[in-house]
Amino acid sequence: MRPVRFSLARVGLIAGNTVREAARQRLFNLFVVLALMLVLGARWFRDFSFGAPELRFLADCGFGAMAFFGSALTITATAQLFFSEIENRTALTLLAKPVWRAEFIVGKLVGVAGLTLLFCGLLTVLLAAVLWTREGALMQEFPDNFAQGRVVSYAMVAGAGAMQWLKLLILGALVLLVASFAQTQTFAIVTGFLVLVICHLQHLALAAYERSGSLFGMTASAAIAWMFPNFQVFAWADSLAAADFPGWGQVARVVSYGLGYVGLGTALAVFCFRKREI
Amino acid sequence: MRSRAATLLIATGALAAGGFTLQTWVTPAWAVVRARQPALRLDSRAVAAGQGVTLALLGGFRALVADGTWIRMYTLWEQRDLPAVETLAHLVTVLDPRPVYFWLNSARILAYDFPAWRIEAAGGYDDVPAEVQRRVRHEQARAGLRFLASGREFHPQSPELWIEQANIELNRLVDLDAAAESYRRAWSLPGAPYYVARMHAECLRRAGRKAEALAWLVRLHPTLPVADDGAAAGLVLSRIRDLEKDLAVPPERADRPPP
Repeated sequence: MRPVRFSLARVGLIAGNTVREAARQRLFNLFVVLALMLVLGARWFRDFSFGAPELRFLADCGFGAMAFFGSALTITATAQLFFSEIENRTALTLLAKPVWRAEFIVGKLVGVAGLTLLFCGLLTVLLAAVLWTREGALMQEFPDNFAQGRVVSYAMVAGAGAMQWLKLLILGALVLLVASFAQTQTFAIVTGFLVLVICHLQHLALAAYERSGSLFGMTASAAIAWMFPNFQVFAWADSLAAADFPGWGQVARVVSYGLGYVGLGTALAVFCFRKREI
Repeated sequence: MRSRAATLLIATGALAAGGFTLQTWVTPAWAVVRARQPALRLDSRAVAAGQGVTLALLGGFRALVADGTWIRMYTLWEQRDLPAVETLAHLVTVLDPRPVYFWLNSARILAYDFPAWRIEAAGGYDDVPAEVQRRVRHEQARAGLRFLASGREFHPQSPELWIEQANIELNRLVDLDAAAESYRRAWSLPGAPYYVARMHAECLRRAGRKAEALAWLVRLHPTLPVADDGAAAGLVLSRIRDLEKDLAVPPERADRPPP
């Protein structure tokens, strides 16, 4: 019998099926609608803004919606789509055919990547449109403040949107890793949210223990910092000015860091899934 | 069971080893991000501040959470809840240090409102001895100045923070020399209003340093745009004349600006 080779076509089929299944779920639509409403509604929140410039405030709301609802979507969709295959026994049928377990895992991740790309792309375009419209109105209202032309760098907005997507992709890979050995969907979802919090706050723990000088604390926090990526590295959206666009070397380093974690998470998910009894 | 535990152990070890390499690789980029984003250089207050900070830091909503916290702080301010107001004033600037508004108004609350609350809580202005009142005013003024100094770490080019410092030094500490110096620093920053330069001279004059005040105004006057009412070139000239009179400057040495 000839050994079956790893096939990108099969990965594509699994990924396509994952995206279709996710798009059919009400959860995806709910998160998309909520995020869109928040981005569009941010203009009405601006009365609550005390100090931040209006465009900065709008961008904060937009990227906040992308990060918050995007993370919730990634965690629940990844866990749900993985476990639905196990619980409905479709994984059993699928893996009985000449399909690698690695293809199954990579296909799921590519599907989640497509889903989050759709989500982040949609919100980034919408946010850019909201910023463009409001900036145009402000330019007419206060021409002196825009003597040099538009102040918002839309390349920066697009870059920040891409970074949000990369962050969600890493989160998806880590949730898939958890799901590959977890027994229940609830465990995978809860652990996914914990991973999200740790990834955002690990740098604080590291800094706090470094200040305290506790050897045990420093070792423990360093180990955590190695296992969980630092999501604050992807925080670009603090400035909207073109002058603050990071250098290409910096961009390459951060992107390779993100992709490195995606690769690591996926490889370990494949490793764990291969040992799993379905 | 043993096999599952071994799998997890291997996966954890591999994740830590791979993560170590990736963290080493990203360290220079992280240093740049941290330097550019002051909100990421948090102190222990942020670690202990609870869910508001966590939510804000989980990627976005920082401005929105800070604004919500500021509104909450105002409701507590109406109730004169001093410890809660102080905590939330600090928390707001930890959440979002970008707006100067938060730094200015928090410093004003510390320096102007808190002494009044503390004195009233201790029995009121009629009962509390003048010396105690003075000590409370000074303590709170210094707390406000410390707050402004923290704000300047994030906004080194903001004249507003130096102006507020000067106002507190002038009105609460009655330290004319310090106020004069703070007004001078504010004037040296871009976007400072013209009255700041006049206030510097006024503080010098009131501190008895009239010759320095005169020299400052003589240097300042030719730089003021005559057409701008805010610059008040005429007022500056009249103050020059007053100082020349006070200092008995002989007419031949008096400042003679071009007509």
